[in-house]
Amino acid sequence: MTGPTNPAPPAAISTPPAPDARESAGNATADTPDTPGPRTRRLRRIRRALAVVAVLATGVIATAVLHSGTRHGHLDPRSADPSGSRAVVELLKERGVTTRVVTTAREAADAAGPRTTLLVTDPDRLGPTQRDVIRSAIDLSGGRTVLLAAGSHSLPDLSPGVHTEGDADTARPDPGCTLPAATSAGRADTGGGHRYATALPGAVRCYPSGGHPTLLVLPTGPAGGDTVLLGSETILLNESLADEGNASLALQLLGSRPDLVWYLPSLADSDPGTGDSGEDRSLLELVPAGWSWALLQLFVAAALAALWRARRLGPLVTEKLPVAIRASEATEGRARLYRKADARDRAATVLRAATRERLAALVGVPHTQAHDPVALLPAVSARLLGEPRDVTALLFGPIPSDDAALVALADHLDALEREVRTS
Amino acid sequence: MALTGRAALLAALGSIPVGLLEPSWTGMLAVNGSIALACAVDCALAAPVRGLLLARSGDTSVRLGEPADVHLTVTNPGNRKLRARIRDAWPPSSWLPGTEAAASRHEVVVPAGERRRLTTRLLPTRRGDRRADRVTIRSYGPMGLWARQGSQVSPWTVRVLPPFASRKHLPSRLARLRELDGRTSVLTRGEGTEFDSLRDYVPGDDTRSIDWRATARQNKVAVRTWRPERDRHILICLDTGRTSAGRVGDAPRLDSAMDAALLLAALATRAGDRVDLLVHDRRPRAQVQGRSAADTLPSFVNAMAPLEPELVETDARTLVSTILRSAPRRSLVVLLTSLDAAPIEEGLLPLLPRLTQRHTVLLASVADPHVATMTGARGTVEAVYEAAAGTQTQSQRRRTSEQLTRHGVHVVDATPDTLAPALADAYLALKAAGRL
Repeated sequence: MTGPTNPAPPAAISTPPAPDARESAGNATADTPDTPGPRTRRLRRIRRALAVVAVLATGVIATAVLHSGTRHGHLDPRSADPSGSRAVVELLKERGVTTRVVTTAREAADAAGPRTTLLVTDPDRLGPTQRDVIRSAIDLSGGRTVLLAAGSHSLPDLSPGVHTEGDADTARPDPGCTLPAATSAGRADTGGGHRYATALPGAVRCYPSGGHPTLLVLPTGPAGGDTVLLGSETILLNESLADEGNASLALQLLGSRPDLVWYLPSLADSDPGTGDSGEDRSLLELVPAGWSWALLQLFVAAALAALWRARRLGPLVTEKLPVAIRASEATEGRARLYRKADARDRAATVLRAATRERLAALVGVPHTQAHDPVALLPAVSARLLGEPRDVTALLFGPIPSDDAALVALADHLDALEREVRTS
Repeated sequence: MALTGRAALLAALGSIPVGLLEPSWTGMLAVNGSIALACAVDCALAAPVRGLLLARSGDTSVRLGEPADVHLTVTNPGNRKLRARIRDAWPPSSWLPGTEAAASRHEVVVPAGERRRLTTRLLPTRRGDRRADRVTIRSYGPMGLWARQGSQVSPWTVRVLPPFASRKHLPSRLARLRELDGRTSVLTRGEGTEFDSLRDYVPGDDTRSIDWRATARQNKVAVRTWRPERDRHILICLDTGRTSAGRVGDAPRLDSAMDAALLLAALATRAGDRVDLLVHDRRPRAQVQGRSAADTLPSFVNAMAPLEPELVETDARTLVSTILRSAPRRSLVVLLTSLDAAPIEEGLLPLLPRLTQRHTVLLASVADPHVATMTGARGTVEAVYEAAAGTQTQSQRRRTSEQLTRHGVHVVDATPDTLAPALADAYLALKAAGRL
C-alpha cells in the first residue's frame, strides 16, 4: 500500500543460483562429521574388539599369576627360582659334569649308562609302565640312579626291599655313616621328607632321623651300579643349596659320573613302548556307561531345539527395490577417465575457462568476451594489488607439463580469483 | 505345526533320568514317549488357527517419515482359549531396518468367543503403497509344548505420501503473495495485471500511478491500484524418465521435484490459480486435472505417492503433444526435468517453439551439491581432475540453460533443499510481472 516495491526482474529467474548451491554444499560437508558415518562406526567396532581382547588378556595373565604358585619350575635345572635347581647344575658344569634334561621315561632309559647318573625328580608321579622302564634302566645301566623323595607308591617297583618308615623331622641330621660323600659334607638338609628302612645287604644308611636313615645307598644290578634314595629334595633347591653341607652332598651324589640325566616327569610322558595302556581311549569310552544314554537323549534334545529354531513364523516378504544410481556418477566417471588418460590438457582448459568466466563477471567484462585475452587481461590486471603482474600465462598459457604443475595451476587460479574478488 | 523351546528343554532334562535311572532303550522310550504324548495333548488343546476371524482398521495414508497405526482385530469364535504369537507381515520398507521383528510380532491371549485388537505401527522408509502380506498365527497349547501354525490374508494398503518437507517455506511465500495484492504497480503493469480500485494518494506512492481523471472528479488525489491476475492455468509436468532416478543425497531427483511441485501447487491454489499435474516419461503415468482449489493438493499428493522413476528415456514428442492437448489455453507450463545436455538438446529443444508460442515455459531441475563439492576439490592430482570434471558438468548445465533461456524458457537450477523455494520465487516473480 505504500511505496512501489520493485519486483524482481524476470531475467533473474533464468540464472542458476550458483552461490546458493555452493553454500549449501559447504553446509552439507560441514555437517557430515556430526552424523555417525561408516568410518566412525568402524572405529567404534575396532575399539570394542580391542577392549574385549584387553579384558581377555588381563584375565589370562591374572589366571596365570594366580596359578603359578611356588611350585613353578620346581626342581627344574633351567629355573633360577628359589625352588628351581639351576645352581647345582651350574656348579656341576664347573666340575665338568654335563647335564641333560629329559621329560619321558623312554628318553631317560635310553640316556642311562655306566657313565651316567640318572636323577628321577618325582618318582611317585610315574605310571606303572614308566616305573617299569626306569626299573630296567636302573638294573641294566650300571650307573648311579638317584631317586628323590620316593614314597611308598613307587618304592616297590623302583627299589624293591626298601620301604618308607614315616616322615623325618625337619632338623638337619648328622651324617652318621661312613659314606665318603656324607662324611665330607657334614650336616645337610635331608630331613623333612621320607625315612627309609631296608634289610638289604650292602645298604649304606646315612643321616638318620629318629633312628631311620633319610639317605640310603644301595648297590644294584649286576653291572655295578648303585641307587641313592634321598628322603627330601631340599638339598638340590636353589634357596637351600648354600646351607650347611647341602652343596657338597649334592655335588658328590650327582657328580660321581661325568654325565647327569635329569629326568623331570611331564604330563606329555606317555608310554611309547607299551602301546595302548588306557591313555588313548576315545571320549565315548571315558564316559561312564549310563551317561552315554543320557548323551544320546541330549542329542535328541538338540535335534528338537534345531526343529524349534528352524520353524519360521511365516515366510519372508519380498519387495521391489528402487533403483539406486547416484546422480553424480557420470561426473565421477569422467574424473576417473581424465586421471586414467592423464588429460592435463582438458583439465587445464576447463579450469581456466571456468575461472575466466567468473573473473569476467567480477571485473565487468561481458560474458561473450570472457575468453578474449584483449578484453579480459587489462581489466583483470587493473584489479590486482601490488606490482603489476602478467597473468597471461596463468589464464591463457600452455598445458601443464606434469601432474604437479596441474595441481599448482588449480591453486594459482584460485589465488588469482580470490585476489580479484577481495580487491 | 511347530515345536517350542520348552519341549526341547524338557527333552534335555530327560537326559538326567535316562542317565541315572534307566540307561537303556527302555528309558529313552519312556522319556521321549511321555514328551511326545504331552505334545500331542497340547496340540489337541491348542485353539485352531483356521477358524480365527481377522479384520483390519486404522490409517490408510501417511506422510513419509511419520508413523502409521494399523489395527488388526482377532476374533476367536471357537470354544478354546487362544494363546498366540502373531506376525503381522508387511514389506521390509514398512519399518526402519532392524526394527521389523519387534514391530510386527504380537503376543496375544483371546478367550473363547472374544476378540482382541492388536496395533502394528509402521514407519515406512519409502514413498508408495504398502500392502499387508499374510498374517501368521502360532497358537500354543496350554502347556506351551506344541503350537499350531497357520497364515491368513487380511488385505490392507497404506499409501505413503510424499513428505512435502518444503511446506515450511509456504508461509513466507504466502506473505510475499499478499504483498503483491493491491499494489500500485504501474511500472510492471503487464497485459495480465488487472485494475483493482482507486484509493487516496499516500505520500510515497508512485506519482505515475495517479489517476488524473478520478482526481479531477473529486478534490483529493486518487491513485489506481492493481491486483495480480487470477484464475490463470498452471500445468506442472513431472518427468519420471531415467534422469529422475539419479540419487542426489539420499533421495532420487524425482522426490525433490515432487516436493517443489507440491509447494508450487499449494502456493498457486492460494493465489487463485488453477493447477493441473501431468506425470510423463514414455507415456503419461498420472494426470490430475480440473480439481477445485481445496482438492488440488490432496489429489496431487495421492497421484504422486506410488510414482517410481522408470529406466526409460523420456519421449519429448509425446510429452509436448500431451501438454498441448491438456492445456489448450495460455498457461504456465512448469517442466520438472533434468538439465543434462543430451536429453534436452536432442529431445526437448527442437519441440520448444510449439510450446513457447502458446505458453510460458518454466523449466526446473535438481542440481547435485556433490558436483559443487567436487568442483572445489584441490591438493592432489585426483582432486584436480575431479574439480575439472565437476566444472565441466556445471558449465555444460549452464550452456544448456542458456540455450533454453534463448528460446524464452525460464530456468531454475537448484540443489534439492533450495529447489522448492526457488521455484516458488520464480512463480511469484512471473506473477508479479504479469507474465502468466
